[in-house]
Amino acid sequence: MTDELLVVRAQLGERNAFADLVRAWHDPLTSYVRRMLDAERADDVVQEVWLAVVRGLPRLRDPARFPPWLFSIARRAVTDRLREEYARPEAAHPARSEPGGEVRAGAVDDAVLDRAAVVAGVAALPVREREVVILFYLLDLSLETCAEICGIPVGTVKSRLSRGRRMLRTEFTEKGFAR
Amino acid sequence: MNAEDVVSRLDRRLSLRRRVATVAVALAGGAVAAVVLALWATEPHLPARTQVAFGVIAGGGLGWVGYGVWVVRRRTPLLALDRVVAGWLALAVSTVVGVVVGVIAVSRGRWELALVGAAFVLVAAVNLGRARAHRAALLRRKRELGG
Repeated sequence: MTDELLVVRAQLGERNAFADLVRAWHDPLTSYVRRMLDAERADDVVQEVWLAVVRGLPRLRDPARFPPWLFSIARRAVTDRLREEYARPEAAHPARSEPGGEVRAGAVDDAVLDRAAVVAGVAALPVREREVVILFYLLDLSLETCAEICGIPVGTVKSRLSRGRRMLRTEFTEKGFAR
Repeated sequence: MNAEDVVSRLDRRLSLRRRVATVAVALAGGAVAAVVLALWATEPHLPARTQVAFGVIAGGGLGWVGYGVWVVRRRTPLLALDRVVAGWLALAVSTVVGVVVGVIAVSRGRWELALVGAAFVLVAAVNLGRARAHRAALLRRKRELGG
């Protein structure tokens, strides 16, 4: 059953459809929040996000857009708790410093950037790079969806991914994971 | 906290009975307030103590209306089925209150109050029509998606 059908059924008032929606998206949501925050705050935020979903679901106009809508809510909740980190100025544009920095989903050629390595190293990234790396690499969301969730242009998502990869590569190289 | 924990915690909020009960409480509060205000407005020489009592009763009724509106708008907005059920309830209560207020108003020559009662019935009918149309659109989409 598609997410859109689940959302439509939940909007109609079918409680089991809402439960299925929670079962389908709870783990990706928790994964995102736990990697953005510490475990202690993450549970509160996840619960807060689901409450916001209950409150906002009747007003969701396009049920097909449920994933970006869900993660936009989660991002707002995370941003509220990381105000200081988000307030720090963003690093200089890195795309020029990384030739071939174009993002290709599912075709990351860096040996250091396999999924396990990203999972291990992502916590060390600055918050803006961390969120797009999690959304794109770990949750397999499209560039457009990542841009919609973060409220930034696709080009900015690409540059943050590029910068995040560069930082991860540097970190892993220093730790001896390099090819 | 896993998905099942979340589902069980949200279960009460998703209860149709709970949502409709909130709407019913708000409608009952509104009905009491409307009848008392109609009596108050049409009775020329009420003693001070009666006026205070009417004010307290009407205030209490309006307080329940405010609570219901707050719950529905901020805590547990109505889903499509809830809106239809709540719409029928609102139409039924508005009709009864409209008739009662109309009888009080006409018997005392205050036609404008009868018009106010009729306006409430009209608003309730329009609201029910919109709720039914919204639910029908969602049901159509559900069928299109194979559900």
